[in-house]
Amino acid sequence: MNFNILLGLSAVVCLVGLIIRLSIWFSQGMHPSDVPTVPAAKRVAEALKGVLGSLFSAKIFLIIKSVFVDLLFQKRVFDKNSLRWIAHTLIFFGFMLLLLMHAMHGVVTEHLFKGYQSTLNPYLFLRNLFGLMVLAGVAIAVYRRISLKPHRLRTYTSDWAALIFLGVIILSGMLLEGAKMSSHSKYQSMVDEYASLSNDEDGKALEAFWVQENGLIAANVQLPPAPELVAKGREINGDSCIECHVSNKNAFASSAMAKVTPMFFAVFGDSATLTLFWYLHIITCLAFLAWLPFSKMFHIFAAPVSLIVKCVTGDQLQEPANILTRQMLGLSACTHCGTCSLECSSNMFYESFHNDFILPSEKVQYLKKIAAGKENDPAVLKRMQQGLYVCTSCDRCTTVCPSGINLKELFVSSRYALLGQGMPETAMLSHFSFPLALAQNFVDDHLQALKKVTDIFKKSFQHLTDMALPITLGKATDIGNTSFRGCFSCQRCTNICPVVRSYDNPTEALGMLPHQIMFSLGIGNTELAMGAQMIWSCSTCYLCQEHCPNQVELCDIFYTLKNGALKKIEAGANS
Amino acid sequence: MKYTFFQGCNIPIRIQQYATSTTAVFAKFAIELEVIPEFNCCGYPVRNVDEKAYILPSVRNLAIAEKRGLDILVICNCCFASLQKAKNVMGKNRQLMDELNTILAKEDLHYSGKAEVKHYLTVLYEEVGPEKIKAQRVNAFTGLNISVIHGCHVLRPREITHFDDSFVPRITEELLQTTGAKSLDWRGKLECCGAALAGINNDLSHKLLKEKIAGAQEAGADYITPICSYCHLQFDTTQKNIQTGAAEEKLLPVLLFPQLLGLCLGLDEQSLGIAKNSTITAEDIQRLNSLLGPPVEEKKKKKAKVAA
Repeated sequence: MNFNILLGLSAVVCLVGLIIRLSIWFSQGMHPSDVPTVPAAKRVAEALKGVLGSLFSAKIFLIIKSVFVDLLFQKRVFDKNSLRWIAHTLIFFGFMLLLLMHAMHGVVTEHLFKGYQSTLNPYLFLRNLFGLMVLAGVAIAVYRRISLKPHRLRTYTSDWAALIFLGVIILSGMLLEGAKMSSHSKYQSMVDEYASLSNDEDGKALEAFWVQENGLIAANVQLPPAPELVAKGREINGDSCIECHVSNKNAFASSAMAKVTPMFFAVFGDSATLTLFWYLHIITCLAFLAWLPFSKMFHIFAAPVSLIVKCVTGDQLQEPANILTRQMLGLSACTHCGTCSLECSSNMFYESFHNDFILPSEKVQYLKKIAAGKENDPAVLKRMQQGLYVCTSCDRCTTVCPSGINLKELFVSSRYALLGQGMPETAMLSHFSFPLALAQNFVDDHLQALKKVTDIFKKSFQHLTDMALPITLGKATDIGNTSFRGCFSCQRCTNICPVVRSYDNPTEALGMLPHQIMFSLGIGNTELAMGAQMIWSCSTCYLCQEHCPNQVELCDIFYTLKNGALKKIEAGANS
Repeated sequence: MKYTFFQGCNIPIRIQQYATSTTAVFAKFAIELEVIPEFNCCGYPVRNVDEKAYILPSVRNLAIAEKRGLDILVICNCCFASLQKAKNVMGKNRQLMDELNTILAKEDLHYSGKAEVKHYLTVLYEEVGPEKIKAQRVNAFTGLNISVIHGCHVLRPREITHFDDSFVPRITEELLQTTGAKSLDWRGKLECCGAALAGINNDLSHKLLKEKIAGAQEAGADYITPICSYCHLQFDTTQKNIQTGAAEEKLLPVLLFPQLLGLCLGLDEQSLGIAKNSTITAEDIQRLNSLLGPPVEEKKKKKAKVAA
């Protein structure tokens, strides 16, 4: 098929993809209850207002700085991890230079450099150097993905696909160039076109020289060629060829590849191999172009925008329409590099809960689906909700993200958007709630979601006031901590408790007082102890435990009861 | 002398001044604090949910310090208690230790209990000592009243934390004395700031906090000095969040101990990040500086008394 038709097709697919991805920036978003949807037109208008406002103000200097520091130099990656920086820099510069200098040589290189010939130096040499840069970068990236697997770095098929695409593009290009070097039919056509040979002897001499020096494979040249023939060929080469074609040794990578091409020649024949490699190279390049907007490679558009927005706004957007747009821009800028998950302070909780969504990079992948309304499986949403909540709000993910995504804001909004959908989240009853209370985001949503959990808690357990008296002895309690057996009800715990003294009617507010909970365990009624509001009102100050004259570990027992109560609630919710 | 510096999750993003002032003060005594980026959360936030999930992160942090061949210095009480608890549990429960080590082995880490966990006050008191601190002072405060709030998890449970006397802690008192400031005797000194209930039961959390603010103010405190990062956030952030705006309402400013000590050691208020405490005003800092003067030698005082 004609090259131009193939190029046109893939360019159209790429363009359609870009339009789809861009339209998502302005149409989707995370919506907690008090964040209304904003019409796309308004979002585009607000975004334009922001962009123009920044371009025509002193912020333009920030943008220029960001282009050099964040985009070209990739300072955020450089500061964190030199190996990753080397890989990205090699791939980025190698690939971009090949794209401009080689793929678009008719548009770019020929106009920039007079007398450009792809077979002359420095072009011949540089093409190989850039190719090798990309391959080295890809190799480092592969090594990184494999070696960091035990550190919870997730790699999807699409991540491998991106690396394979890059690798195949470069290798097929090198194979094609190598095949051209060794192909006799290619040699013959060039001789016919460019060389003015006076007789057959000259032809043989030139051929001998190219076999010796340039990796040509010719059946009628005896190996090794006679030195005098080669010397003569060198002269002819100097007259006829060298002006437009330097030695193939300059193409160091491709000439190494030329050593494997004879195997292909043997199977497919000389010119068919050339066609095969040409198609392999061209089709991978064009497939990559078409695939680009539908994959993480879209980051080459989204990440620069995200980084500049971060630099200009400092993650302090005010306009609600722009906050939504920024969220979607952020989601599309993710390269699934996993840096956030490697640095995540909560990453060890993954090892306990085995929920991938605790890892920020994995949250991002599924939030794309949730934002698009494509993920409705309650089990997945519940795991996502837990993943969003089991977060220490240390903001490390946002600090380290190489694409400058405002993950913190994205996760806060997503957390309350999901909590608002109605599923209770038991992790709310943990200290993960502390930084959320401190930040005072979505205060009403938080209280509503909290009420859902506390209501379930109240429903799930028997309460002292509901029970028919007298309460009799149950079977022996086994909660792992037996220190409650030492309680002789002196009530020192209750008397010293700062929570108990905070209420006018503590029994009503707390269900049971600390010493009563110990007594309840003593008579074998764990359920009753677990259902006491007291355990959730415990400030964990340990005064009771410290002051107990008989070493009852009250506060530790409260923690055990809380763990047990939440497990019971979760079991009830899942059954 | 060198320690790995455990800052936890709150300090690097919300209270950087605690870390920078501590590092600056320790540098004065030639103690280096090495920041380890691999450290993760101490596990404390998940304790209500699952005890084992609470222990594992601290065991990992201890294993990282062990691999680095250094002990851990902690400035957050809750992190301190979590790390100490993990050590305690590992010491008692060999089976759990093996189980958690299997998880750590994936990252080429191993816990054997070699790394010790030390609170920064203990290190200041035991390894530097009040005498050496006094000798290094260039200034000391006069007429400065401080309400210290120790925070619960550095003191209790004493079998886990091993920090001073949990009923009558004197390390903090003696260290505070080196600055010349007066540590007030007040009723909230050993009590709860309410942080553990924030976001779970805000009313109760605020009630406990207000009780402490009122207590310190009634005792005549110029500043409250929280030892724990959670207490700090309660006083420095939540206090402002819950202000009603009433005319008679008075803000109780927060000053961290390394900031206080740093000023006496001749460190400037910028490097101690004093203005980063959101409850402190420019006038507060001015007044604070005006209370600083050359330290008065105690021996001279005694002699003067004898002479009188």
